[in-house]
This record gives sequence, structure tokens and C-alpha cells, in this order.
Amino acid sequence: MNNSSITMALAGNPNAGKTTLFNRLTGARQHVGNYPGITVDHKEGYFSHNEQDITITDLPGTYSLTAYSVEEIVTRDFLTANKPKVVINIVDASNLERNLYLTTQFLEMGVPLVIALNMIDVAKDRGIEVRARKLEELLGVPVVPIIARTGEGTDELIRQAIIVGHSEEKWQPIDISYGEDLDKIIIHLDSIIAESDFLTNSYPARFTAIKYLEHDDQMLPLGQKEDSGIARQLEQIVTTVSDHLLKTMDVYPEAIIADHRYGFIKAILRQGVVTHKFDTDRLYTSDKIDKVLTNRLLGPVVMLAILFTLYQFTFSWSELPVALMGSFFGWLGSVVDTLLPEGPLKSMLISGVIDGVGGVLGFVPLIMFMFFGIAVLEDSGYLARVAFMMDRIFRIFGLHGSSVMPFIVSGGIAGGCAVPGVMATRTLRSPKERMATLLTVPFMNCGAKVPVLILLIGAFFSDHKALYMFLFTLLAWLVALVVAKLLRSTVLKGEATPFVMELPPYRFPTLQGLLIHTWERTWQYIKKAGTVILAISILLWALMTYPGLPQEELDSFAEKRIAVTESFSETIQLEIRESDNHNGDLSESALALQERLTTIDQEQSGARLRNSTAGRIGIFLEPVSSLAGFDWRTNIALLGGFAAKEVIISTLGTAYSMGEVDVDASDSLGQRLVRDPNWNSVVAISVLIFIMFYAPCFVTVICIAKEAGSWKWAFFSMAFNTFFAFLASVAVFQIGSFV
Amino acid sequence: MTLKNLNKKCGCFAKKVRQCTFGKNCPNVTGPLSETCHTGKVKICKVTGDRKLCARMASLGVMPGQEAELICPQNNSQCLLKVHGGTLSLDQLTSSNIIVQSV
Repeated sequence: MNNSSITMALAGNPNAGKTTLFNRLTGARQHVGNYPGITVDHKEGYFSHNEQDITITDLPGTYSLTAYSVEEIVTRDFLTANKPKVVINIVDASNLERNLYLTTQFLEMGVPLVIALNMIDVAKDRGIEVRARKLEELLGVPVVPIIARTGEGTDELIRQAIIVGHSEEKWQPIDISYGEDLDKIIIHLDSIIAESDFLTNSYPARFTAIKYLEHDDQMLPLGQKEDSGIARQLEQIVTTVSDHLLKTMDVYPEAIIADHRYGFIKAILRQGVVTHKFDTDRLYTSDKIDKVLTNRLLGPVVMLAILFTLYQFTFSWSELPVALMGSFFGWLGSVVDTLLPEGPLKSMLISGVIDGVGGVLGFVPLIMFMFFGIAVLEDSGYLARVAFMMDRIFRIFGLHGSSVMPFIVSGGIAGGCAVPGVMATRTLRSPKERMATLLTVPFMNCGAKVPVLILLIGAFFSDHKALYMFLFTLLAWLVALVVAKLLRSTVLKGEATPFVMELPPYRFPTLQGLLIHTWERTWQYIKKAGTVILAISILLWALMTYPGLPQEELDSFAEKRIAVTESFSETIQLEIRESDNHNGDLSESALALQERLTTIDQEQSGARLRNSTAGRIGIFLEPVSSLAGFDWRTNIALLGGFAAKEVIISTLGTAYSMGEVDVDASDSLGQRLVRDPNWNSVVAISVLIFIMFYAPCFVTVICIAKEAGSWKWAFFSMAFNTFFAFLASVAVFQIGSFV
Repeated sequence: MTLKNLNKKCGCFAKKVRQCTFGKNCPNVTGPLSETCHTGKVKICKVTGDRKLCARMASLGVMPGQEAELICPQNNSQCLLKVHGGTLSLDQLTSSNIIVQSV
């Protein structure tokens, strides 16, 4: 067997199982969601089969090869530019009629095709029997029944694909009849295209002719670029035909073409390819569930109840493991404190690494529970229903139904990430709707903001944690939608575009799938904590440590200590030295001495933090930030958040552990904040609101610039969000303090 | 608000309620999908709107003469339509452009 790598492409309708098959073949763990539009760009993977190296590309889900959406453009461009040796068209056996629509266009394009008849088990459960051999015979391409989830049939599929890949035959398009009248026009267009070699390097002549008749958005400008004379000639013929059809039949040619394609598919299926055990008109369980879960009145109530249950589940189940993680890092801090001598290394390990990274890692169990809950909603197909129900609300605020998914991915149900959210806006075709979505998705509570929310809610509103979390999630949505409305009514004014989406059927999530999703996302979080967050935590620790206090000030504190110590008798001083900080064994006078020495240590620690680079910046900003109730230490944490939102918690941890001397005490950061005179519940809400809405993290800003095609919008996002967040925080703090 | 206006508004509301409550008993009613507020089979009579929308709908199998099943009707709002074995969610703008007849 030839060992040179074969290129394969995986294509099919959304939710047909492309990414599941891709993951199974390559061993990759690409994210699979039970809703359309999860794959916008193509992804490449590698694997071997019987010593044959294979490069496989997972293409986005599409319904057709006409340029209606970005997914269709990406798929078609990939096929024409890369010309893979074989295309594996994965079709859902339980919904063949719709899935074969795309197949007909692959056949018209002439790509070397192998059909993977996926989900035969689901089809069987629904009483649908598909005869693969018959379908293979009628379509003239190999058809292999598979179950991508279990891997059944995938060996045979790849074997067939390798045979097709090695066949070295030229792309052979097939002809579908579009009725006598249109066929004549297609033949005429075909001859003009073939004679002038018009775009024939990329597409078969007949395929180009059909795309011209379909008024394909991408093909027309491409033709103009290739040869404007021929393009004009073709356009003139097509315009005459379109006008005639519109006048006589009140339809455009593309409707007739689609009708004939479905007719072609029906004709094939009726030749004994598919047999139904049950009534074909019956509604499946999925449809019956939809009647209740997407009901206009009942649907939103159920949706809110499900989301609230998710938070309740997350908080109640993760309480114990989070407390254990907190104790573990507290213990680790005290071990390091005991083992290491005083000095910068000990300070960095305790204040920079353990308090910083430990503060982020301490929330891993909670994040895991949250991700597990979201994976259940996603894999079951419920998230797609959430998008459907939210569409009506999004319209009011000038957004598009396709904006819902970017919002959810960004943390609409707390715990996402704005970066894939920003990238998911590619599915929006209207530039203004896309821009409005792009600029508002960072308002969602991403996975990095969640620990901050949990910390402050847990510290200041511990009696109703789930309720407050739920309310802050709703607030994020409300603010994002109001800002979107503001943008769509001013700088991004424009018409609304239609929203059509195919809903996937409800499916029972597999435990393996849920665990993979949960672990993948949690691992991302842990990895970030161990790399970026660790680096930024150490950098911020350095900024908070250096420059140290001048020698005169250090001497002054030392003198104070000596003066205080000498004011007590020799016996008391000896008692302190011998007690080794065991307060329980000390006499009353010794305790008083120790308390005064601790006060001096705290003063020195505070003075050192104030004198540091970060401290100076924080103090410089304090006159302004105090309007919103933020002290200089909070300012340091918020500045760190510009790099990555996770850093806020680690910086707060470092700032508030450096401010205190007794770092090895088991007090959590939350308890330290509650004890701090500058913090109270009003300040906590003000800080939370600022963190939720101020500038997106650095990576998101870069992503916005890339997706918007200009840094102007990225800077706008940073400046506008920070200004808006500060105004909101000032309002909350001032009104809250007054009340 | 004049009595006439009030009557007009109430009349409109009453019409909607009537449609929703007794819709099942009124076959062969032709109108936009967005205003069909009873579940069940419908026949697509016409797809209006711009060319791109018509083409997109046709590629999804929503074309004149095709039978479909309305799963979740939401008067003057978006709806769920089962056609060619798939369940489509259509927004108000789109569903108001699809003229259907109850079967």
C-alpha cells in the first residue's frame, strides 16, 4: 500500500456527527456541541490506518454548497482550493432526505465521495431501515453504515475512503435534471463556460452554470474577476430566465432547482432505500418535548428554572471540595512558612505563587461542576432551544438569533470564554449585527470572572449564593442587551436580517462525552492557572514587592520594635522568645507585647506595599477610584485584570496577604476582605459590577481587533466598557452608601 | 382612547384568541405562518420576501407545494416547523413571509 499521506475532508449537515467522527479517527478532542454552528473554520487532524498516513479536515456543517452562509463558503473554498483526494460525506441516517440535499451538490461538483451513513442505531430506534447497498448502487458512490459515537463501521469507512483516494480518477460530476426548460438553459450556459474555459480550473462547467442560475453571491463576483465579458453574457442570460420565471410562475430559478434536487432524492429513496416501520407522519419524542419546552409561556419559565437549578447544583455540590482545596492551600502556605527562612523566595512562594495561583486553583471543583452542568444542557440539545427562545428577545435589542450562541459560549451561562464567543460571531452575515454582537459578548460572565463572583458573593452574601449568582448572570445579559440596543440605535444602525436554524433532536448525553467536555474545559482553566496566571502573579508580586522600603524607614521600624520590647521586663521578653508564637501559653503581659509587635509588623508591611511600584500606581488612581469605593489595593488587582481576569483574584490574594503579616493563618481571602475596613457589601457589589463590565482581557481585545478587521473597534471596546463599568460602579457605590 | 378604538383593539385580540382556540377546526385557512397559531400539518402556498430568503428556504425544503408540520406556533413570533425530517426554527420576519394553508 502507498504510504504517502492521503488528504480527506469530512463534510455534512450540522449535527450529522462530523466532529464526533473526526475525534474518533484522530483521537483529538475537538469540542462537539449538540447545536449547529460549532465548527466555523476547518480543523485538521492526522492518523494512520493499516500503515496508510491520512490527513483529515473537519469542515463546518452546511446544508448546501451555495454561498448562503460563511460555513458554506468555507466548505466550498476548501474543496476547490485544496482538492482533497476523497470527501467523506457524513449523513444522518435518521434524516436522510434533508442530508442527501448536500450530497446531490457534491455529486454535481464531482468530488470523489464516500458516504458515511451515521446514526443507524437512532434510525433503527425510529423504525427506519436504510439499505446502504441499494443507496450505493443508485448514487454510484460507496455508502458505509457507521455509528460515529461508538466507532462501529469506521474501519470499513476508512478502508473505502482509501480505495477511492488511491483511484486517481478525475473528478466526475453527475447531471441532475432540473426540468426541460431549465435544462436547456443550463446546457447553453455550460457550452459558453466550457468553450471559454471560464472558472473551469476550480469548478465543472455545469456546476458554475447552476450557481449562476442560483444567483450565488460568491460565484458572481468571482466570475467578474475571471472574465468580465463572459460573466456579463452569463448574467444577462440568467436575468432573462429569472424575470421570465418570476413573471410566469412567481418563483426564482433557485426554488425550482431546489425542488428538483429534493425530487431527485425522493425518487432514490422510494426505490426501496428506506422503509418505515411506523407512520412517517408521527411526531418523535423530541418534537413532543419541544411542544412543552419551547412553549411561548411555559418555555421561558422552564428555561429560568433549569438555569437556576444549574447554579443551585453547582454551589451545593461543590461547597465541600472547594473548602477542602482552600484548606489544602492554607496548609501548603503554612508548610512553606515553617520550612523556609525569611526572605524574598519565601515571600514570592507564599504571596505570589500559593496565594495567587492557589486562589485560582481553589475554584477548580466549582468550575468542574459548572462545566458538567453546561455539558449536559449542550449535549442534550437544550442549548439550541435556549437560542430559539432567546431570539425573540434579541430582536427587540437589535441583535440576531445567531448572536445567542456567541453569548452562551462567552459565558451566558456563567463559565464560558469570550475568545471563542468572539470567533463564533463569524456565523452572522450582517456586518452591523455581527459588530454589535462582537462588542457585547465580553459582558458575559466568563470562566475567569466566575471565581471573583463566587469569592465576593460567598464572602458578603453567603446566605443566598446561588440566587445572587443567578441575579448577576441575568444582570450581565441585561447590560449586554441594553448596550447592543444602544449601539444598534446609534453607531451600528441598520436593518435586521432573518434567522433560520435547524434544531437538533434531543439526545441522551453519553457519560463519556460529558466527562470529556468537562475535563477539557477544566483542564484549560488549570493550564491557564499554571502558566499565564502563574507568570502574571509572579510579575505582580514583584511589582508589589519592589522597590522595598528605604533603609532609614526599615531602621525606624526596627527602633520602634526595640523600644516597645524594652518597655517590657526581661522575663516577658524571654517568655515571648521561648513561646514560639503559641499564644495559648503566654501570660497577659506577653500577649500585650506580642500584639504591639504585630501592629508594627503590619504597619511595616503596609508601608512596603504602598512604596512598591504597584502600590504607587494604586495610590495614584485612588482619588478617582474611591468614587466607586475601590481602595488602592483593589486598584492593583483591577489593573492586573486587564491582562487576564483570573489575575484579579490572585492579585487580591497577594495584595491582602502582603498587607497582613499573619500569612499562614487559615483565613481565606474572602474572610480577609470581610474583615478589611475598606470593604462592605456595597463595595463588593460595586467591585463586582466593575469587574463584570470593564475592558475585556488582553487576548479578547486582540481577538476583537482580528475579527473586526480593525484596532479601532478593539480600542472602542476597551475604552467604552471601562467607562461604562466605572459609571455603573460609581452609581452603585454612591447610591448604596447614601441609602 | 375612544370606544371605537377600544372595540377595535379588543376585536383584534378576540380574533387572535379565536384563532388559537379554534384553529384546529378551521382547515383551509390561508395566511402567513407567523399568524398560524395551531399545531398540525400545513401546506406551503408561497414564499415571499427577498430573493436570498426564498433561495435559503428552498434549499431547506420550504417551497410551494411542500407539506410541513407546525410544532410550536407562537402567534406573531418565531415558530418551529418540521419539514423534510428536520425541525427548523424560523424567526418572525421569516415566518411572516411563508404563506401556508392548514391541511
